[in-house]
Amino acid sequence: MQTRRYIGKVEVQNVDGSDKVSGRAHYVADIHLPGMLHARMLPSPHPHARIARLDVTPALAVPGVHAAITQADFVNHGRFGWPVNDIFILAHEKVRYIGDPIAVVAAETPEAAQAGVEAIILELEPLPIISDPARARDPDAPLIPPEPPRGEGNLCERHILRHGDPAPLLETCAVLFEETYHLPHQEHAYLEPEAALAVPEPDGGVTIYSSNQSPFIAREIAASTLGLPLEQVRVIQPPVGGAFGGKDETLYQCSAQVAKLALLTGRPVRIVFTRTESMRTSYKRQAAAFRLRLGADAEGNLQAAQVHILADNGAYGAGTPLAMWRATMHAAGGYRYQAVHVDTDAVYTNNGYAGAFRGFGNTQATAAIEIAIDELAHRLDRDPLAYRLQNCLRQGDRTMTGDLLEDEVGLAACLEWVRARSEWDRRRAEYAAQPADAPTRKGLGVACYFHGSGLGGEGLDFAVSTLTIEEDNTITLTSGLTDFGQGSRTVFSIIAAEVLGVALERVRVLRPDTHTAIDSGPTVASRASIVGGNAVRVTAQKIAQLLDFAAADLLGCDPSQLVRDGEAYIGPTEEPHTFEEVVTHARRLGLQLSARGRWQAIPIEWDFEKGQGKPYFAYIFGAQVAEVEVNRSTGKTKVTRIWAAHDAGTILYPLGALGQIYGGIAQGLGYGLTESFRFVDSVPQALDLAHYRIPRAQDVPEIEATYIRTHLRQGPFGAKNLAEPVMMATAPAIVNAVFNATGVRFRTLPVDPARLKG
Amino acid sequence: MEVNETTMKIEFILNDAPISVDVDSELLLVDLLRDELGLIGAKRGCDTGVCGACSVLVDDKLTRSCRTPVAKIAGRTVTTIEGIHSPDGELSDLQAAFLEFGAVQCGFCIPGMVLAAEALLRQNPTPTRVEIRRAIQGNLCRCTGYQQIVDAIEATARRRAGLPADVAEKVTLLE
Repeated sequence: MQTRRYIGKVEVQNVDGSDKVSGRAHYVADIHLPGMLHARMLPSPHPHARIARLDVTPALAVPGVHAAITQADFVNHGRFGWPVNDIFILAHEKVRYIGDPIAVVAAETPEAAQAGVEAIILELEPLPIISDPARARDPDAPLIPPEPPRGEGNLCERHILRHGDPAPLLETCAVLFEETYHLPHQEHAYLEPEAALAVPEPDGGVTIYSSNQSPFIAREIAASTLGLPLEQVRVIQPPVGGAFGGKDETLYQCSAQVAKLALLTGRPVRIVFTRTESMRTSYKRQAAAFRLRLGADAEGNLQAAQVHILADNGAYGAGTPLAMWRATMHAAGGYRYQAVHVDTDAVYTNNGYAGAFRGFGNTQATAAIEIAIDELAHRLDRDPLAYRLQNCLRQGDRTMTGDLLEDEVGLAACLEWVRARSEWDRRRAEYAAQPADAPTRKGLGVACYFHGSGLGGEGLDFAVSTLTIEEDNTITLTSGLTDFGQGSRTVFSIIAAEVLGVALERVRVLRPDTHTAIDSGPTVASRASIVGGNAVRVTAQKIAQLLDFAAADLLGCDPSQLVRDGEAYIGPTEEPHTFEEVVTHARRLGLQLSARGRWQAIPIEWDFEKGQGKPYFAYIFGAQVAEVEVNRSTGKTKVTRIWAAHDAGTILYPLGALGQIYGGIAQGLGYGLTESFRFVDSVPQALDLAHYRIPRAQDVPEIEATYIRTHLRQGPFGAKNLAEPVMMATAPAIVNAVFNATGVRFRTLPVDPARLKG
Repeated sequence: MEVNETTMKIEFILNDAPISVDVDSELLLVDLLRDELGLIGAKRGCDTGVCGACSVLVDDKLTRSCRTPVAKIAGRTVTTIEGIHSPDGELSDLQAAFLEFGAVQCGFCIPGMVLAAEALLRQNPTPTRVEIRRAIQGNLCRCTGYQQIVDAIEATARRRAGLPADVAEKVTLLE
């Protein structure tokens, strides 16, 4: 195999880094146009109420105000949403959570727009609320959605998994374990608050600069709710200041709102959320309760599992139906079972609303099962790491859904790596010998995960790229999948440069733009590097073949005889020809030096009614060990070290891959220790970053991380996904370490310091 | 127009050049920089002074521009991210190290982080990793988990002191 120049090289840097580190990168809130109007939104102050009166005409009388819009300004009240069609660009008939957007005003200044918002006449008739998901299906519960999406009141979605029959196994197995775990809402807390800017076009259309994840979905929703043909709506994605799954529905609302205001006023219109608006209006990771029943034989070999999940999707479906499908597919963890049943309900409440967030349901599932496995090992008096090695998935095993693992499985190797690097046995023995009355107590805990690759049964997993050699011999590349900080643009660049054998500097990835890129579905599910990367690879291969023809013709040889030296092409007898010479010759031959390529994952088949099938085309694995120090007088837990191993296949972009691990661990640490977006009677309790605490630099320990390099046949150069799963082991590893330190077992996240005092 | 509005003339040094502005005395420095002067490197991330994305240096001290009325900077020296670069206008050694060590993801916190690091290194040229973490404690990052930011700052300190620093040592790979 030819030596790789960029793939896997630690020297490769973020292609957008220079603009970002010098402050030149323009996020949406940094774009200012002449005559631009500023938009402000009226959010619902009540968690559930009928809109008895809404009159925006007084806003129009406020000096500087140019327009004010409500649901009435959109086609079909601006209703959208997939797979459940239950959300509106602006609230229709009812408000369903605190922060639900009701009206938007555009004015010369943000202050005038705010004055306009305050002039709006709004009369709400409060309705009974549902704040406890367990009460959502009571006979007298008020109906929250416009109509029951599954014909059963506030049931938003139901998923089942039926692999074998666990009931008889659980009745006869030697060890039966049963517990319930509660996972909290989590706020994404991307540093860049939501922002969108719309510019009216001379043809009656509109261009929207939007800090969203998936511009093609933003375009489709804007076009359908504005009543415009798709080609008259263009969505451009400037640099996005973090998303983590959180910049979908909220941004689609903002994008359509400013687009409408731009069309009404003929002026550019921009909306930028404050932090409080962001935290109040945007969706969260869904809170969920997991009831787990696990059965093992006398030797501790897992036999069967039954899991019931109840998820709080809040006021709208958004990403929850699919996230809870993923939770269903992972609820018993990365272990061997003979039979597993999972029953999952997602229900409406008035607790904000929930959607996509890194891990997409598996973050919650992994937290629950990994605490449960730790408890089971403890009950069996087994070392929790050795117990995982005994039961964890290996090549040739079947997953909890019955899927045969034909590719390499790096799970045991990940567990072995964190065991060795953390000096697990020595530290565990040392901490077991701590005096019971020590003021601070140390502990070591482990957790591991498996994660289905890509969209799986959630939808068609494909991407499209285009590549052009320009007149100046630079190479422009588009992808329908996008980069909101995770490094996909760098990955796409290095794959193109690697395949074409050219300098990385030649390759330029255009900004995501619905007018230049090709729709590739949503940028979610950690799929950009794999699916988008494969699309870049097949596209670049088409151009590479054309250039080989040209070089062979120029050098008078067969394409198979060509050798590359740097960018140069060398034939058997002649002097080397530069890349430019080969490109010029290709043009002379009449070849078209642009291409479009599509890659699609192996189709998978999941029968949602039967709860059976093949949910994913491949899997990813990993393990982490956390060391904690618990102060018994304050109850405070400090994470002092984390060791992380992730089975990521071939690493394409090492610095970026490491950054995903470190960043994922920090988010998982917050999920375990401080981050709970609490609602009391459906009222959010923290709406700023002083009261909702995400980890700071001193809260995150030094992390030692590695990649276990198995090979995935379908991945580009054998790469696997990594952005989401790397966060999933952290919170349960911390909870398990706290138990090791103190003997206090947490089944509700985050860890409550009050229970650790004294 | 508010009745009590008072405008005043403020003179200060901005990125090595003297500047004079007529502003509302209540105007915040972040608003002056972003909305009046077009210096968009300082970001609005939280509005309450807890995220550090709006950080600038005032007389070499890390300062949140969203909590600083322009009146307070009269006669002082303000450095924004736009004022951080090498003598030839390229990236500074610190900025280059942020790229070299993989410290940049979404980038929204990065101008503030670079300034927090610059403030630290001007005051303590040889910080430990613990001291580096303390120095960037007021700057939130949601993407990176901070480790590669600490790596970059540590490497810059070492190189400024004539010591080597190599990114390869930060990458643990199993073959």
